[in-house]
Order: sequence, then C-alpha cells, then structure tokens
Amino acid sequence: MSVELLINGKAFNVDAGIGDTLLSVLREKLDFKSAKRGCNQGVCGACTVSVDGWPMRGCLSLAVGCAGKDIRTLEGLSATRRMQFLQEAFVNFGAFQCGFCTPGMLVAADALLARELNPSHEDVKVAMSGNLCRCTGYLPIVAAVRNAAERIRKEAARG
Amino acid sequence: MTIEPGLFLQPKSADEALHMLFANEDAKLISGGATLVAMMNAGVSEPTTLISLAAIPEMNGISSETDGTIRIGATTRHRETAGSPLLKGGLFVVRSAASQIANATVRNMGTIGGSISFADPGLDYPPALVAADASVEIASIRGRRRISAREFFTDWYTVALEPGEMVVSVYLPGHWLTGHGFYIKHARVSGDYATVSVALCRQEDGAVSVAVGGCGPKPIANSAANAELTASLDDAAIKRASDILRDQSDPLDDVRGTASYRRSLITGLLRRAVRQAEKSVGSES
Amino acid sequence: MGDQIHAVGASIPQLDSHEKVTGTAQYVADLVRPGMLHAAIVQSPHAHARILSYDIKKAMELPGVHAIVTGDDLDESDRMGAFIKDEPAFAKGKVRYVGEIVAAVAADSEALARAAARLIDIEYELLPAALDPMEALKPDAPKVHDDSASYVKVFDAGTEGNVCSRTKLSEGDVAAAWNQCDVIVEGTYETQAQAHLSLEPCGALAEVDAQGRVTLWSANQSVFRVQANVCESLGLPMTRLRCQTPRIGAGFGNKMEAHVQPVLVCLALKAKKTVRLILSREEDFETVRARHPFRIRMKTGATSDGKLLAREVELVLDGGAYGDDSPGVLGYALLMNVGPYNIPNVLAHGRVAYTNKMRFGAFRGFGVPQVTFASEQQIDELAKKLGIDPIALRRINIKGRDDKWFCGQEIASNGLEECLNKVEEASDWRAVRAGGQERARGDVRIGYGVATSAHIGGLLASGAIVRVLEDGSVLLNTGAVDIGQGSNTVLTQMCAEALKLPIEKVAIASPDTDGSPYNWGTTASRVTFMAGRSVVKAAAEVEEKLKQQASAMLECSADDLELRAGGRIGVKGAPGMELPFGAISGRAHWAAGGPIIGSHSWVFDQKTVDPKRAIATGLPFQQIGIFSFTAIVVEVEVDLLTGKVRVPRAWSAVDVGRAINPQLVKGQIEGAFVQGLGFALTEELVWDGGKLANPTLMDYKIPTFVELPDDLNTFIVESNEASGPFGAKSVGEIGMNGVAAAISNGIANAVGFYSPRLPITGERVMESLNQSWQATS
Repeated sequence: MSVELLINGKAFNVDAGIGDTLLSVLREKLDFKSAKRGCNQGVCGACTVSVDGWPMRGCLSLAVGCAGKDIRTLEGLSATRRMQFLQEAFVNFGAFQCGFCTPGMLVAADALLARELNPSHEDVKVAMSGNLCRCTGYLPIVAAVRNAAERIRKEAARG
Repeated sequence: MTIEPGLFLQPKSADEALHMLFANEDAKLISGGATLVAMMNAGVSEPTTLISLAAIPEMNGISSETDGTIRIGATTRHRETAGSPLLKGGLFVVRSAASQIANATVRNMGTIGGSISFADPGLDYPPALVAADASVEIASIRGRRRISAREFFTDWYTVALEPGEMVVSVYLPGHWLTGHGFYIKHARVSGDYATVSVALCRQEDGAVSVAVGGCGPKPIANSAANAELTASLDDAAIKRASDILRDQSDPLDDVRGTASYRRSLITGLLRRAVRQAEKSVGSES
Repeated sequence: MGDQIHAVGASIPQLDSHEKVTGTAQYVADLVRPGMLHAAIVQSPHAHARILSYDIKKAMELPGVHAIVTGDDLDESDRMGAFIKDEPAFAKGKVRYVGEIVAAVAADSEALARAAARLIDIEYELLPAALDPMEALKPDAPKVHDDSASYVKVFDAGTEGNVCSRTKLSEGDVAAAWNQCDVIVEGTYETQAQAHLSLEPCGALAEVDAQGRVTLWSANQSVFRVQANVCESLGLPMTRLRCQTPRIGAGFGNKMEAHVQPVLVCLALKAKKTVRLILSREEDFETVRARHPFRIRMKTGATSDGKLLAREVELVLDGGAYGDDSPGVLGYALLMNVGPYNIPNVLAHGRVAYTNKMRFGAFRGFGVPQVTFASEQQIDELAKKLGIDPIALRRINIKGRDDKWFCGQEIASNGLEECLNKVEEASDWRAVRAGGQERARGDVRIGYGVATSAHIGGLLASGAIVRVLEDGSVLLNTGAVDIGQGSNTVLTQMCAEALKLPIEKVAIASPDTDGSPYNWGTTASRVTFMAGRSVVKAAAEVEEKLKQQASAMLECSADDLELRAGGRIGVKGAPGMELPFGAISGRAHWAAGGPIIGSHSWVFDQKTVDPKRAIATGLPFQQIGIFSFTAIVVEVEVDLLTGKVRVPRAWSAVDVGRAINPQLVKGQIEGAFVQGLGFALTEELVWDGGKLANPTLMDYKIPTFVELPDDLNTFIVESNEASGPFGAKSVGEIGMNGVAAAISNGIANAVGFYSPRLPITGERVMESLNQSWQATS
C-alpha cells in the first residue's frame, strides 16, 4: 500500500507492506542509509532515528504506522548546528572506530542534548545505554557528548 | 518480513478497534510495536492484518480518576509512565519499574498494554502491578470487565485474554498514593530482562504489599508474606516473608540464571527493598 | 614550512572521520548495484547428519527466484582451511553443526529469498553428534569428519579421528622440577565460547562480469584470505576472483576467514547476476565462528623465595566442526601460557577436538585471554601461599631485556616493568592492598587484582607499494584492511613522516587483490608493525629514486641531495637549489626516468623455537612476531546479596613500542578492556543440545555504557622497538588478555576465592560465596 512519509522535512510516497519496517524502507526504498541494521530486534541501537523529536528504533517501527510523523535521520540532522557540534566532538575525541554504531549514537546524543544541555557523565551513560558499541569501550563517546554540550552552552551564552 | 502487502487498520476509538478485531480472526493488535515488530522481523509472527491502537485517545495517557484511582491507558508509553508525577507514594513502584525497562529509546516506543499482554516473566510491569494491587480493564465487543493484575497473569507468556479481547487500561488503587514504593531489579547488565525482581509498596500506616518477578510463570505474591512485613520489617520478618514467597516460586533455568540461583536471591533483594522503604519513611518519593 | 613533518606521534582523527559522522560511510549492506539480487541462506537444523536429497522445486517456482545452490553444486575435492583443508564452501554430503549453511537462494528481494529458502526441503539421515570436546576425544565417539587424517595440512598437525590438531612444547625438566618446589598450585579451569558481536553482521556482494570474472565485496579482515578461501573451496583459479573492501563494521577475528563469501560466489556464478547476501544477527551468531572454549589443566610451582620454577599446562580446545584457525590458537596459547615470566621448566601440551558445533576461530587474543585467566590466577595463588605481594612476586620473575621467551625467541624491547610501575602507582596498590582503604561498604566487598600479559605482533607476509603520482602527491597501497582500528590513518601517517610530506599529500588505496601487495590480514595485531615496516622501506626506496632522478635534473651526485619537508629534494647546503616531487615525477612520466615506485615485502622472520632450548611438536608457525607487554590493575566490587561483580576503576598499561597515533592506541586499549569485561563477567554462548540457546542480543549480553568502569585509565608505554617502524610494535589485542584474570584476582582479594570458570556470573560467585560460608560456619 502507499504511505506518505515525512523524512528530513520532505514528503516521500512509498509502497510498503505491513511488515516493512521504517528502517528497511529508509534503506532499501529511499536511499537513506545512515541508519543500520545491526540486529533487527531493537537491542543494538544502530537503527536509531528521530521520530517526532524522540529517538526510536527504526527496526521496530512499521513504515505504515509512521505516516504523518516527523522523521529525522542523520542525513537530515547533519544540517543542524547542534548535530554539527556533536559531529565535531565525535571526530576530535575519537568517539568511533568502525563507525557502524555512530549514526545511532549521534541521533541518541542529539536527542539527549535537545533536552539536557548539561548532562553529567552518568546522565550520558544512562541516556545512551540503548546504543551498543563493541569497538570504543564507550569512554570517548561520553567525553564527546559532554564536550559538545559544553560548547553548545558556551555558544548560547555568547548570545 | 513478509511478501504480502497486508492490511493496516487504524481505528479511532476502542469500540471501532474491537469491531475490527472481531471481524478479522487473524488480525493482531499493535500498540507501540516494540514486541510485535521484533517478532515479525524474526519471522516468528506473520500477521496479514494489523490493527493499530495508536490513534485512540481514550487508551492513551495517565489520569487521576474521581474515585482517587490512577488510570494508565494501554497505549501509554513507558517513558510517560516512568515520568508521571501522578504515580507517587506506593505507586512509585510502577514508575520505578517503567524506568528500568530496556533503555530510554525503547521506552519511547513500548507501551504498558503491549508489554503486559505479552507477559514475558522477565518483564518489569507484572510484579509492580501485582504489588500495587492493580486491576486491568479488558474490553471486547461484548463489553468491558476488570480483573486484578494477579488474575491477569496466568502462566508463562499467558494472560487472561480471550480471543477478541484487548487491554484498555490499568487501574491503580488510590490508597497506595501515600507511603513508598520500590522496584528492585537484578539483571546481568543494564537493559536486560530481570533475572529476579522485587516490587514493594508500603503505606504510611505500615501496610506492605510485595511481589517477586522472574521466579515463575507469574509474579509471586502472598498475603501471609505481606502480613509478616506489615507487622515488622526486621530481619526475621524478612526471612519468614521470603521463605513463604520462595515456597510459592517456580522459576526455570535459563541463560540469566538457574532456578536455584533465582530462589536464592529472593531474601537478599527483599531485604534491599525493605531497607529502602525504611530509609524513605518520612520522605517523599 | 619547517624542516620536519611530525605525523608520527600525532593523534590525528581517522582519515574517514567525515563519512562516519555523517552516515555516508558505505558498508557492504549499503552497496547497491543495478539489477542486484538478494540472497538468503538455508541452515542445517541438525548437529550431525548425512544429506540425502534436496527438493528445490517449490522454491524455484516462486516468482522472483533466480537461482539456488546446494551441495550438489560443489565438488567433493574442493576444500579450504587455514591450517587443515577440511572445510567445503558450505555443507556437502554432511552437515556438521546446527546452523551450518546448506543452501542459498538468489531472488528479487530479501523477503522473497527468505520465503523461498523456507520452501526448500532437505532430507537428512541423522547421525549421533559429538557435542562435548572431552567426549569427542574418546575413541568410540561419533566422528565429525569421516576421514580427518586424509585432509591436506600445512604442518604436522597429527589430525586423526576427532583430534583436529595436537601440539607440545617443552623446556627444561618439569618432572624433576616439582620436587624442588616449595609451593605448588594446581587447578582446572574452563572458559566459554564468546561471540565477537561486531555491530555489522557478516555479508558480501558478488558481481559477475561478462567474462565470468567475479568482483567480490565483503565484510572482511583480509581480501587475500577471502580470495584464497573462495577459490580453494570452489575450485576456481585465483585469477578469476577479485576481492575488494567497503568500510568494515568491525572485526575481532570473525571476519578474518571465510563466512558467506564462498556460498555467495557460488550463487552469483550460477545466477550470472550480481547478488548481495547480508546475514541476520541470529544467522551471524549461529553460522560464523566464536572464541574457543578452553579446558585448562594447569600446575605451577615456586620456591619459597618467590622464584617460579615449573609450569605444566594441558589444554583441550573445543574446535567445533571445522579446523579454521584452531591449530594456530592452540599453538599460540601454549607458547604464551607462561606469561612474561622466567620459568625454566615448562611442559605445555594440548589438543583441539572436532565437535558438532559451530567452528571456533580467531578472536582478539587468540587463546591468550583464556590461558592468562588460568596462569595469572595461579601466580596470584602462589603469592598468597608464600605471603608475598602479588606485584612483588611478579617483579621477581618478569622477563627482562636479555631474557628469551618460552622456547627461545629473543625479546628485544620490553616495557613490562614500566607498565607494572605505572599501574601500581596509579592504583595506589600498596596502600589499598595493605588495607589502607575501605574494603567493605554495606553488602559490597571491594578488592584489587593485578595481571600481566604479553602478545605478539607479526606473522606471515606483508608489503607496501608507494607511488609518486604525476603531480608529486603519493599513493600508498598495502592491501591491509582497516576494520575501524585506524590502520589506514596510521600507515598514512608513517608514509607521510617518512617522505616528509603533509598528510593531505598522501592517499591510501583501498585493499584490492588485483592491485594491492599481499597482506596476510588484519589480525595478530600485525598491521602497524608488518605493513608499517614495509611502508617505511618502500618510502625509503622512493626517496632513493627521487634523488637519483633529481640528481640528473640538478646535475649533481645523488649523495649531495637531501629530502626536504613539504615534498622536495634539494642540494645539501644550498637552500635555493631544490625540486618539488611534482617536477621530478612529471619528468619521470613524460621525459625520462620512469614513474617512481617504491616497494617492499617480507615475511616475519624471527624464529619462535630455538631447538637447543626447547622441543616443539606440531607447532603450526615457525616465526611468530615481536612482543608487546601489558599490566592491568582493577578494583572490583562484589555484591554479597546477588554475587554480581562490578569494576568501578581500572588501570591498563601497554608497552606498544611507539604510539604512531596515541588516540587510536588508547582506543584499542579501552575497547579491548570493555570487551574483556564482557568476557570476564557476562558473555557466554550457551548450547541446548546441539542448538545455540541464545543467538540473539536479547539473550547474549555485551557491556553497555552503564557497565563501563567509572574510571578507566590507560597508560601508553613506549619502549621503542628497534625493528619496528618508528619504534612501533602492536596494541590491537593485548588490552584484552589480562582483564578476566585481573578481575578474578580482585574478587579473590575481596571475598577470598578464585574463579575456575568464565564468565564470572553473579550466580557462580554466589555459589562460591555459599560454599565458603558453609565451610566457615
């Protein structure tokens, strides 16, 4: 059936069955490949995208159920200032190695900073505990997120 | 994944949903999707018709009823339940359980109705709801009924839902709004299902209600155990109460632990819950 | 511009950072080709069975299905294997483990391919299965391979029945030495199967051109191993297959040897179209490989002055259905079992057993995390019995610069003492072990544990080709796969430093069996050292050639010329007289001299065994690598009510020789630590009969953000290895080796008992606590 999806601010008409997840539609029908399929069971977090401003699992969302929602992937979020701070921090702190978990991490981090601009070490760990990484051991990711938060706060203070 | 397009229905009211459910024998209800879509992805479930409950206002949200009970709509996300100020006092046990489900991202998607309908014994809501004397409102085209949470969870992955029935809300009694509630979860790592969990409510007047999760096909609760802890919170009472609960338990061996390990945790976790209750006496949760 | 370019030692971000943080990096599952088909596999439901027949009719009739391959498409004589050629491209004649690939389907979509796969009917004749390695080694056990002795082997493996390989190493006279020991500890240990859990599941994409030549993209750790494995198992000449590499979503050994590449190429050749196959997470758990479960019997003896005198170890490895890297893991584990200590009398022997389970293979540490778990606990127990501090006892025995490794290899650079100093000081070890800190807090007991270890970097062949392009920029090609650890960046840094170029002037080519020099693989912590040495030598050849050609252009002797920062060759003492690389290279291409290419290749050449010192039987490698060292201290908390163990603080020091990129080195130490945390505490593949009981992320749990220690401190020690490129050795695996042992020693310090089994789950700790409470009550 045809469903209209709003992705990164643009409307797309896709043909989807009830079994097609948002993740598979993004990747296979719409060429938004930043979200990854790591487990397809909602555990690893590599498929995390933003839906109506909240981080959600692309692999557990049915495409047909996402009509009318504001879906943002890393491709779209990359244009925002907050995400750019995060991306710079991730690069500077070595917050990725293989990079496969990184889009999901960035979306989850972005959602955290949208609501909390001064997260503690613990706050970051808990907020992002739904994203698995097997390469970095997490430490530089926490440092990067807090560094981005600090720089965003400083920029906001400058007015 | 399926190759058939399938049918995706989006009723606007509970009654409309029930009629659709009645009319489509093979239809499955979908709430947050966290459980069902994972099963569909794994090929374990291949529904041809889905009835989405997402657009039904009466099934969503947390409210305080005129009789003092707190009502949680079945499609309320865990995130909302975990952050609701209405769940205070002993009912904080439900907030605490919701906040420990999986992780923040999954809590944006999963719902209480979807979760309890699946009834995995490692889930966090069931012991919390049993401890809080919750009741579950069930609807079908024949009408609505309410049963206690204790009666709702019947067996491994089995609940008291007949074909054509769905959970509409969960009600929490108002008398638990004072006092304190705790949900202690022991798991291998953050986000895992509980290996064993203990849910405890304690009223200001000392009345205690306890339920143990992960130790059998359904949450373990016992009025004699509750009576022991209501009378006293000392180590001897905790031991007597946990012995009663352990006798009733029937855990399995699985990757999270053996049955004997699970049984052995009941006393320690109960003591931990009780000590927290003692510390909170006189303070707001 | 200054005279030096300091690329080496700089923590520059990975060269592919931009694509990774924008989500534009292309992994194999992101690759698309016009008209591409999608594949799905059929897996064996049985642990051991003969395949009697295939019925693919219904599946082929499904609209959208293009091709199906089964064992009937394979030739009986085509087999692959790193050490023993015992493995077909996928199951032929027999299935040997639940989950083994028995067929594959190519269709218009993945959903169609999976639907068709379910329609394939296979008739099996069930055979008794050998599931336990000890049982499998008994003479009357069911044979996993009907005639294992007849397989081609690359070394004296001793393959027979269910013995996949056997190895024995000895030095001194262990039997006599026991009598001279004042204390002896003895124990049996069991370690578990650990899943690699790279976030990216295994997958591949095969394109067939009009000539029938295949270009294969896959998630891999070695394009050359892919090429060899696919061609051997399909009976193809190696010229028929070109292997390339997209971005890799991590490999920890799981992607070093073949996974789906052989079955996919077989399928693509039959379909005569491009086909892509990506495994689901469950399939990845079940079909690929995991870390070897070890059964360790170990005995260590010392004299009362704390000197270690004797060690005996016997290993039985569960090898699974196919040999894969098992002989290497056995041999290496035996070689490293002693740890970095001088023990004059050692007898180390073991066997790998074939069983009807998924093959076990390379996984970060390659057997050393397993033996270290046993060895470092025994060292600790000896210290306890002798009343000597655990670090002090280690200091009495650690290998120094002039000591040789077990079996006789020279050690060269050795920063182990500095590693121990760093972690001892940073953790305030003396104070905490002397009881100066709180050791109990409510129901929690706190303890501190130490472990040391070593690891090699090296093995087999690597090479490098450096080309000066027409414009004077440089293209580096080593064939080494960057699996996310940053080798592309590190090798580029080394090339840039060697040629005094800014990083932006050096590009690194993607590994390609058509154009890259042979690099055995990204494994054995070897790329920085092995490929790096070739990079430096190839760059030196380029420098020579640049000077030769410049000398003709400048009409002087090449001896009067020097390499200048920024890509120039100039006359010594004459700052104005110089030529940029571009001028030299342009002339080289268009007028005279010839394009400038530098190259180097080599095989690691330091002998492992000195026959005057040691006796070695069935050792699958003769030259292994140079040694890096590590010391770890951990603080552990044991919850007495649940047995659950936490690691709030840890200190890990590694002697890497030289940190070419300190941030990337730190990343390896930290990442390995957390993976070691999972190995130590929570990860375990569990079988229910022949079937994996927990092949999902719901049931198999790796550490999350929350399990990260509150305080994880890393220390980079640089001992400057003379034979290493810019002094570098290795770091990829060593960070994992001692974690489980250190934690176990910490638990012993906290609550008094050691752990003979991994993982150290809350349940196992509770059992030990209950036993010790019963013993004392």
